[in-house]
Amino acid sequence: MGFDERHVLPSLRLLPYDRLVLVAGRETVRSAGFRRLRALEPALRTVRVDPFDLMGSMESIRETIRSAAKDGSVRISASGGTKILTNAAILAAFQEGVEAWYCDPDPVRLPVLQGVVLDAVFSPAERGIARALHGPITHDRLVSGVASQGFARRTVLGALQSLVGKGLVEIGRDGGSVWVRPSSRFALFRDPLRQVPKKG
Amino acid sequence: MTVLFGTLGWRPQSLLPSIRSSENLERVVFYHSDHAKSREARAKVMEFCRSLGVAANAVEVGDAFDLLHVAGQIRADVRKERAASSDLRFNIAGGTRLMSSAALLVCILEGIPATYVHDETYQEIPLPLLRISYGTGLTAKQRDVLSFLVRNRDKDFTETALAKALGVHKATMNHHVRELEAKGAVARLSDPTDARRLIVKPAPGMELLVG
Repeated sequence: MGFDERHVLPSLRLLPYDRLVLVAGRETVRSAGFRRLRALEPALRTVRVDPFDLMGSMESIRETIRSAAKDGSVRISASGGTKILTNAAILAAFQEGVEAWYCDPDPVRLPVLQGVVLDAVFSPAERGIARALHGPITHDRLVSGVASQGFARRTVLGALQSLVGKGLVEIGRDGGSVWVRPSSRFALFRDPLRQVPKKG
Repeated sequence: MTVLFGTLGWRPQSLLPSIRSSENLERVVFYHSDHAKSREARAKVMEFCRSLGVAANAVEVGDAFDLLHVAGQIRADVRKERAASSDLRFNIAGGTRLMSSAALLVCILEGIPATYVHDETYQEIPLPLLRISYGTGLTAKQRDVLSFLVRNRDKDFTETALAKALGVHKATMNHHVRELEAKGAVARLSDPTDARRLIVKPAPGMELLVG
């Protein structure tokens, strides 16, 4: 993904594919190299991103992976484009659990566990806590609130410690009470954390 | 105490914001190339650290073209600092593409909070990584099997031989191998000397996951 002839063309030769999706910036799409690739691959699909915006590129690539995965397996070559785009592609591959390669110039397969997606690391009780956590809240209030959703108190306490371990929640004492606060990183995971898992 | 890791290219500005923002900073460890401009940037970062009274280790990464090799080197340093109970952070903004990607790989696998610094605003951008090892995506048994295969990469094991070596029933081993295969961590390949036999091999790069 990304476009730099020196990086992309070797990976096209080395990694077999049925459909090709290229994630690239505006300048790349205007380049002569892109036109040459388009001539070779008329069915090429292009996803435009700002190749200097890591988080934006990562989200676009994740969306692209999810959409492409509906039609078959997905494989990423992360070595083209800007350094930021490469890192965005690597992050997206790990977060979505798809096979990823780095070709510079020899292909190196990255140790991604296929099918292990970001959302899978959160337990239902952790998600319950995330849904109840909108700002600082006393420990007792949070635990009883989440327990009322049908979780055992012990499960909630374990899930809370797990979220602390993952760096998403902070627990501290203030004014005689124990408080729970979302950490600065919590916002990065708010959406997957607050999703209600699908049944069956 | 916090140890800040970083990758450095030609612009010290890509690393300085993280040095400024790290609380209880004990030491800065950063990787840079052997390019003259990169060495100039190193001198500026060292000077900045001295002015703050913070220790700094600069690691020159020579002609490195092997992503997994560089990642392995960074991971060894990271694990050494972690063993000393330090709180770790990583700024992956600077350096060559390979260096930055290797650092990101280590952050993902080891669960280290990583930040990026915007090219124009120099604002720090946290990356969505959890403080958990990526290897937790494997069960303890799967991890044992994969670790064994990685340690013995140069040898050929069938499922039966693997079961015997690890002291489990071959049906149990078949289950673990299938699960690992579904995750892309191992592959079952035909034995070139006997097409009836399937050899279980770890996927490339799995050393970084379980090594």
